[in-house]
Amino acid sequence: MWRGLWSLVARAARGPCRPCTRQGSGAPAPGSGATIFALSSGQGRCGIAVIRTSGPASGHALRSLTAPRDLPPARRACLRLLTDPRSEEPLDRALVLWFPGPQSFTGEDCAEFHVHGGPAVVSGVLQALGRVPGLRPAEAGEFTRRAFAHGKLSLTEVEGLADLIHAETEAQRRQALRQLDGELGHLCRGWAETLTKALAHVEAYIDFGEDDNLEEGVLERADSQVQELEVALNAHLRDARRGQRLRSGAHVVVTGPPNAGKSSLVNLLSRKPVSIVSPEPGTTRDVLETPVDLAGFPVLLSDTAGLREGEGPVEQEGVRRARESCNFLDTVVTSAIAQSHNGNSQRLLLVLNKSDLLLAGDLDLSPELPPHLLLSCLTGEGLDGLLEALRKELTAVCGDPSAGPPLLTRARHQHHLQGCLEALGHYKQAKDVALAAEALRIARGHLACLTSGGGTEEILDIIFRDFCVGK
Amino acid sequence: MFPLRGCGRQIAASFTKRQFPLARFSGDSAAPGIPHFDVVVIGGGHAGTEAAAAAARCGSRTLLLTHRVDTIGQMSCNPSFGGIGKGHLMREVDALDGLCSRICDQSGVHYKVLNRRKGPAVWGLRAQIDRKLYKQNMQKEILNTPLLTVQEGAVEDLILAEPEPGHTGKCRVRGVVLVDGSKVYADSVILTTGTFLRGMIVIGLEMHPAGRLGDQPSIGLAQTLEKLGFVVGRLKTGTPPRIAKESINFSILNKQTPDNPPIPFSFINETVWIKPEDQLPCYLTHTNPRVDEIVLENLHLNSHVKETTRGPRYCPSIESKVLRFPNRVHQVWLEPEGVDSDLIYPQGLSVTLPAELQEKMITCIRGLEKAKMIQPGYGVQYDYLDPRQITPSLETHLVQRLFFAGQINGTTGYEEAAAQGVIAGINASLRVRHKPPFVVSRTEGYIGVLIDDLTTLGTNEPYRMFTSRAEFRLSLRPDNADSRLTFRGYNEAGCVSQQRYERASWMKSSIQECISMLKSIEFSSSKWKKLIPEASISTDKSVPVRALDVLKYEEVDMELLAKAIPEPLKKYTECRELAERLKIEATYESVLFHQQQEIKNIQRDEALQLPKDLDYLTLRGVSLSSEVREKLHFSRPQTIGAASRIPGVTPAAVINLLRFVRTAQQRPVAATESPKTGQCLCDTEKLEEQQL
Repeated sequence: MWRGLWSLVARAARGPCRPCTRQGSGAPAPGSGATIFALSSGQGRCGIAVIRTSGPASGHALRSLTAPRDLPPARRACLRLLTDPRSEEPLDRALVLWFPGPQSFTGEDCAEFHVHGGPAVVSGVLQALGRVPGLRPAEAGEFTRRAFAHGKLSLTEVEGLADLIHAETEAQRRQALRQLDGELGHLCRGWAETLTKALAHVEAYIDFGEDDNLEEGVLERADSQVQELEVALNAHLRDARRGQRLRSGAHVVVTGPPNAGKSSLVNLLSRKPVSIVSPEPGTTRDVLETPVDLAGFPVLLSDTAGLREGEGPVEQEGVRRARESCNFLDTVVTSAIAQSHNGNSQRLLLVLNKSDLLLAGDLDLSPELPPHLLLSCLTGEGLDGLLEALRKELTAVCGDPSAGPPLLTRARHQHHLQGCLEALGHYKQAKDVALAAEALRIARGHLACLTSGGGTEEILDIIFRDFCVGK
Repeated sequence: MFPLRGCGRQIAASFTKRQFPLARFSGDSAAPGIPHFDVVVIGGGHAGTEAAAAAARCGSRTLLLTHRVDTIGQMSCNPSFGGIGKGHLMREVDALDGLCSRICDQSGVHYKVLNRRKGPAVWGLRAQIDRKLYKQNMQKEILNTPLLTVQEGAVEDLILAEPEPGHTGKCRVRGVVLVDGSKVYADSVILTTGTFLRGMIVIGLEMHPAGRLGDQPSIGLAQTLEKLGFVVGRLKTGTPPRIAKESINFSILNKQTPDNPPIPFSFINETVWIKPEDQLPCYLTHTNPRVDEIVLENLHLNSHVKETTRGPRYCPSIESKVLRFPNRVHQVWLEPEGVDSDLIYPQGLSVTLPAELQEKMITCIRGLEKAKMIQPGYGVQYDYLDPRQITPSLETHLVQRLFFAGQINGTTGYEEAAAQGVIAGINASLRVRHKPPFVVSRTEGYIGVLIDDLTTLGTNEPYRMFTSRAEFRLSLRPDNADSRLTFRGYNEAGCVSQQRYERASWMKSSIQECISMLKSIEFSSSKWKKLIPEASISTDKSVPVRALDVLKYEEVDMELLAKAIPEPLKKYTECRELAERLKIEATYESVLFHQQQEIKNIQRDEALQLPKDLDYLTLRGVSLSSEVREKLHFSRPQTIGAASRIPGVTPAAVINLLRFVRTAQQRPVAATESPKTGQCLCDTEKLEEQQL
């Protein structure tokens, strides 16, 4: 059930019921309407990406991300360094624009960030915005809807709006479907189920606890369900590594026996002479890292010392570091034969180099070999195949940057999961059962934004299924 | 007979309240010529009495038509009012100056607030009511209501006329035809026929037509409604047997004692009629496996249970409890039917087995071993009209000025009926006076939740109120129903007395005044700790703490706070209700702050009215799927908010409707202004990029 135009938006925005704390002067006044943000330019790789905010906290968001922290003159492009307000880590040098309302696209205060296109930067800025208090990711069509509400769009313009929203909701639905097939969707659905059940039990306790015979311990069960959920959400949020990978780059390590041509491969992939190459085994002694762009993904490529019992203490240390770096890697590209040396579930791509040395017909000689790619760093033969295989691997690790709004989706996920977690915290603190139930309702509202559902009937269905109530 | 003490009080109360009892009782004899009323209400149950009284309070000359005057105010099922959610509805009915809360304060025998330990937002005012007293008091009230006439008679048909222009509906109701052929003209008609539309009583395999045990059903009216094209559904409900009080061995059962002091239902009552110590107890017993056996062995003798008609999940018969939750013990509350009644109502034992088997089943329950059954339990099956055919003012889409209220709309419960009755009465009256309808939004009250659920979602089982249905439960509390509804009732409908209005105004301004006072008083937490040593005030923060935040502590109330800071807080503890309400406001303050924002958003949607005469099936210029058109056509939502709540109406469809509404709103403007102006403004904005 779709719960209303603004109500839907507000539900998502309302967030947790924090105790009323008076805010500092810079922070937005709570309750004055949510501020939304979204990537406004097309998805995927592009030269410049435009990220836009709308709402009363826009100015605050702009100041939080830019240094120096004063607002640029209205409607004038300024070059600013964007930094993450929490980690103070620089994100990008970007053009920013400030449109104080009502003279803006939506009629509200708006800010625009023209950042370098590229998933890492865009994702970084979106996540930074998501951490600014009062900001949340925009719903489908929300910018236009706000513009419409403030009389900024003519009716003819709005004619297209419904189609657009339809398209966006469709895209979101497909996106959601895609994700719901995956591990995360499975997790979310499980959480939503647990939470709905816990809420239904608390609601049953409120509506029927007094004159119907609910079994003992209804609340205690709800409490322990909430506890479990909290642990699970916490663990998940701490482990939001996919987002990290996309921002700082996936870690790809090239490893293998000495003299297999690892350094040649690294140089080939990075298109610059990163490592010294020689026919001598053991040329590379340390771990050499270089950031490269592989198939559109930011990747940190590591060249390592060949794995052998080394000749001297320096090379020994190099080998130790090489092994160690394999513990942090996302993808291992192994030249020569894979030795499943640490048994981890790391993604392994077996590359057999020096295919130019093979004679025709030699290929059949190794039927016991696991799936592998043939490559010649010398001739470049097999490079396309390797790149394609790498792209597939990286897509699995980072998500496909060209497949619609996963960046936004990730910000949304994080926003709602965080909101859910905070609300669960309020549940535990609440002494008044009605307040406790309200906290669960808010928590469920956040999960419902990721999994849909969330109606009252669902709660009543569980109550009447689980309890014999009524007289 | 009931005690004289009680009786004297009620008479005194009703005379002081109404200075000029103008009402007359005209009986069956028709006046010469055809009588004409502003509002005619059909049915004298809980919806009918509230509707008739509300219409009269609004200033309409009103006629209440009922089969029998002596059944007005009859509690045909349980001898109790209120409960969790239902008590909320009663407070709202009372805030609109409705009857049932005040009558309950004059007729209860066991008052108990449920959920006392679960937070004031979900407190459930409830009372066991003396059936006879309730009926007497209700009849006295109805027969003494100015502008209200009561007449006995069964309605057979409606008088219809050409529709008024400018309103939807294929015809307009002009009055009613009684069984004897006589006519009564009316400008508005309210149908509150309860279970009487093709009512059928079932005991075992026997079925016979009746609206209630001993009363004739309404069949002609049901046919009329069907002919008019109303979509009719069928529901079932049931009632337990009644047991002779002296045949029960109470001494071995758990006794439940009432509250002392009892809390009144009505805002205008400080106390209830009965002395706390004179209240009657309730007793608790349980079913056992033998009861299950009897039910299961005799399913073949039980046509009510076998029927496919939807019964309530939450007011289940003992049969459905046994079938759905086997091998469990179920509660049976033994409730008094009144001060001088010899009957006990075994709540939880609703049953439709043949009478002799009912008695057999009863006697295997603890404490009831020698129980004598005075009247068997029975099931009722009846017609209801799909409530998506009515507007939030409870007027039907099909027939202008025809209103439905109560069980006819698919609800169950006295309180749900009463709530609809008040709204129908007010709106029937406003309609006659060509005033805009009085609609309670779901952000304003449980009444709004009830009517919005019914009119947008419909129902396929008897609808009962729960607090879990209300999204804004923390805002819609029993304590603040007056500040939500009394002012609107007074200003927009005129259904609220001056006295009540003034009381509500005083209360509201006192609360506001004191809350801002409590916000302004600030001390360090260590000072608070010294001032109120009883409270476990945490001192780990160095920021000053407001008195309002101190009041949030569980162990702090206004008394304690005023003891610490007599000036200026002392005066706010003089009225107990005020002090309690301040404590409640403090408890929920921080959450309410956020809830208010969401409420505003919803109200924005609710403010966008959809034209009433929209023909969704043929509407051009709006792209809507045929499925959505069908749904909108059937439910006829009145606002964008309501439309968005209809299952299956997509966001895109709502945007299209929104655009339509805006076009409609801008029409008069467009006539005077150059349409170019708007276009230009938008063009400049377009430069800023088209983006979602």
